[in-house]
Amino acid sequence: MHFLAPMLLLGLIAAVLPWIIHRIGRRRARPVRFAAMELLMRAEREVSARRRLRDVALLLARTGLAAALPLAFARPFTEVRSDLPAVTTHSQSAVIVLDDSASMRRRLHRDDTPFDVARARARDIVEHLSPDSDIALVLASEGSAAPVAELSGDRARVSAALASVAVTARRADFAAALRRAAQVLTGSTRGDRLIYVISDLQATGWEDVTPAMLSAGPEIVVLDASGGAPWSNRAVVGLGAEPAPEEGAHGIAVVAEIANYAAEPVHGLGITLRLDGNEVARGFVDVPAGGRARKRFVHTLSGAAHQAEVVIDHDDFALDDRRACRVEASRGLRVLLVDGDPRTVRTEDEVFFLEAALRAGGSNFSVTSVLPDDLANRDLASYGAVFLANVARPNAAIAEALTRYVEKGGGLFISVGDRVDADAWNQTMKAVLPQPLGLKRSASALPGTRPEGETVDTRPAERLAPIDRRHPVMAAFPARGEGLASARFFQFLLLAPVPEAATRRIVLRYENGAPALVDAEVGRGRVLLLTTSVDREWTDLPIRPGFLPLMQEAARYLAAAPTGDATASVSVGGKREIALGTEDKRIEIVKPNGESRWLSPAAHAGEQRARHVVVFDETDEPGLYRVRGARADGTVDERPDAAFAVTLDGGESDPARLADDKRPDRAGARAAGPAPRRRLELWHTLGAVVIALVLAESLLTLRFRRGRTKT
Amino acid sequence: MDAKGDTRAATKPLALDPTDIARLGSMSVRARVIVEGAFAGLHQNPHAGSSIEFSEHKEYAPGDDIRRIDWKAVGRVDRYYIKRFEDETEMRTFLLVDSSASMGYARKGVTKLQYASYLAAALAYLLAQQGDPAGLMLFDEKTRQFLPPRTRGGHIRDLLVALEAAYPAGRTEPGRAVAEVGEIADRRSLIVLFSDLLDAPVDLADRLRQVRSRGNDVVLFHVLDPDEVELPYDEVTDFEGMEPEDARRLLVDPRDLAASFARESAALRERWRQTCLEARVEYRFATTSEPPAEVLRAFLFARQRARR
Repeated sequence: MHFLAPMLLLGLIAAVLPWIIHRIGRRRARPVRFAAMELLMRAEREVSARRRLRDVALLLARTGLAAALPLAFARPFTEVRSDLPAVTTHSQSAVIVLDDSASMRRRLHRDDTPFDVARARARDIVEHLSPDSDIALVLASEGSAAPVAELSGDRARVSAALASVAVTARRADFAAALRRAAQVLTGSTRGDRLIYVISDLQATGWEDVTPAMLSAGPEIVVLDASGGAPWSNRAVVGLGAEPAPEEGAHGIAVVAEIANYAAEPVHGLGITLRLDGNEVARGFVDVPAGGRARKRFVHTLSGAAHQAEVVIDHDDFALDDRRACRVEASRGLRVLLVDGDPRTVRTEDEVFFLEAALRAGGSNFSVTSVLPDDLANRDLASYGAVFLANVARPNAAIAEALTRYVEKGGGLFISVGDRVDADAWNQTMKAVLPQPLGLKRSASALPGTRPEGETVDTRPAERLAPIDRRHPVMAAFPARGEGLASARFFQFLLLAPVPEAATRRIVLRYENGAPALVDAEVGRGRVLLLTTSVDREWTDLPIRPGFLPLMQEAARYLAAAPTGDATASVSVGGKREIALGTEDKRIEIVKPNGESRWLSPAAHAGEQRARHVVVFDETDEPGLYRVRGARADGTVDERPDAAFAVTLDGGESDPARLADDKRPDRAGARAAGPAPRRRLELWHTLGAVVIALVLAESLLTLRFRRGRTKT
Repeated sequence: MDAKGDTRAATKPLALDPTDIARLGSMSVRARVIVEGAFAGLHQNPHAGSSIEFSEHKEYAPGDDIRRIDWKAVGRVDRYYIKRFEDETEMRTFLLVDSSASMGYARKGVTKLQYASYLAAALAYLLAQQGDPAGLMLFDEKTRQFLPPRTRGGHIRDLLVALEAAYPAGRTEPGRAVAEVGEIADRRSLIVLFSDLLDAPVDLADRLRQVRSRGNDVVLFHVLDPDEVELPYDEVTDFEGMEPEDARRLLVDPRDLAASFARESAALRERWRQTCLEARVEYRFATTSEPPAEVLRAFLFARQRARR
């Protein structure tokens, strides 16, 4: 121990004062000859033990106080070996890259987190660097802004920025952070330019850091903030919903995928399903070591959309022990087929292949087939999708019902054929047709002799152009469109040209460039227009392997059928587009923590679509985000159909550490030099001791006086 | 003094403090002043025949038995009084005064021995006025002086001189003194013991019972200094014993012990009060700060009331 003002230690002599005063007080005691000695001795026996203990405690407190005061004024300190690398002793330009990604939120021993450790080490570096050094502060999480984006000699500013930084739920992106740090250092003229990366060294986030990037950049020093303890994590890495026909029309199965990142298997891991905040099911799941397991909860829903959340027994990283998604009742799985060309021979019926495809095992569609004349008697709102197959000419009532149905969110599939009266369609169904129908066209090309095409029909035929898998309907198909490529189209309708619109997309084209399948957003609903038939009259598509998935995906797409993560989730930090309802003026987003944000569509957006969509990007925390729509009359309604879940990046749950050979430290010998020493001031502690002793002395004296009156 | 229920004593007649009494010239004067102070409270003339033992005086009227005329009273006041006795036998009184070293304690005012002497002198004076024989025993661990009860002229003077000359010394042994007087006392003698009862051996209670069982009337005056009731010291004090062979010392801050000491002192008094009650001995407690006349008055009044 050392002292800044050792002369003040002479004051330690005062420590003997309480003893001296005590001794003098006893020596100066007045002798008294007293008759009632027996009474006095009895009284003394009664109180002596307690009084002696109190006297000793009081004497010790006063002695300690008399000793601690001069000790504190002498400003004692000790020097401890710092755990910072030796290179921090040099004058330098430094950028601290602080890992604030989700994995830094896990709990270490004593309830602190790797982020707490990392921030403390960053503070050490700021305090320890030589006064003439410049410092900047950059965060490692994906999309984060740099708190101190340029080199600064203002330590107070950097310290304040460090204090205000909060750990996020985002994924780490060290490649971007290192690029940014290197960019900050390019402005420095110093010889020593260093990047200090303080992280838990989780492998996630380092994937894009390439050796080339490291060799070209400044020197990097990595400081481990993981606390050294191995981390065994369990996480809910996936959550989806699928129909559960065994539970009836409203049955739904919520399927959670649990990952176990530990080397030991997990048995009987508790798992709970909550719907709209209420616990509806509990169960257990066994997960193999380093593997995954699925847990399926079956439930019957009422109403439309619901918020589902699965929670497993908590471990040290609680953030990934729950996952949420939006699920919808199976309204969307009810499909209505309108048969525009019914036949007595089933195989020749217009909807024979379509119905067979939708009823195929595992699809779980509830398919109803009706004639066009029966359509007016149907409650369209109870169907997720309506297929109009070769319907000649919808009358005005049907057209109005279909238009209203689509604008309120329904899905409409239109296929054509011999019976379709294009002019009538263009007149009555104009509001929902993606493009006006044109002339019927027969293929001019001869059937190909492609190896996969074993054809018996020798009519001239068109084929499909290479598919674009970016559309959800096509996402399930292989890249080369196997299953669809062999289909031949003998006849099809051309579509009248219209201006480009963001709400309309060509999903499939024929090789001649004519549209085969067109998607359009109409109101809150969707319409798919197939320019050929769904029976074998105009095409052999129905007997091709791709027909079944194409029809099923189209039905799901139109019905917005429950798929959990895929349709209603966004990763932390991502953006979410939310369509306004027909009467909505503004949208309120309620975050999982209860905070809310009001969003209005851009007033001067160029496209019509942009005027009905808001974009929300404050997806900082995983969980369920509720959506409410405000109407012009001031009423605010819940929009469960628009609620969405924000999910954690699965990589942040994986405790795998960055391999040593991939660590970017290149400080080598400089970093490995003798560790610097730092001064640890003790007078603060002694000050606290003085205060404690004063309190103890006061307390004892008070009890002493009270004891005299009570005894 | 225990004057509970004594409404007359609460009238606070002229009664000098012990320190004022001490300033008076001689023990005979002190005795007289105390007696007069006591009777001022009783609204009676002590020279008119009030007594410890006979129940009352009555002015002679035709028809009364002339053998009961109190001739001494006639000599004193020149009027005829009829003496009404409880018993025709003459009662002898033994005054036992503890003169051990502990009776010499006084921080201010008079010592316990002085106080006990004043009370004893006043009683002796009163008895002499009534022509009743009174004896005196000054004792510590042994009998230091004994004057047997007599009525002859000059006896009261000897008795008061002996009390005047009493000094505190030696250990206390009141049991032995009570037993010794019990041997020589006739039936229906009155034995009055003055002591602080500090360090009193346990045999005192037995001795009191024995004497009481022989038909003697026994009164115990428990005299303490106020310091022995409430410990008044407020700085570290080195206490040491007063009696010979008492080597006990205690260096202590008395404030730590005050409450506990007061409890012990109260327990001591309560113990002796119970002991006396069981032995049918009259227990009177007094501190040396109380006017002796009030103590005497309360004693006389209580006895008068007991006789009725």
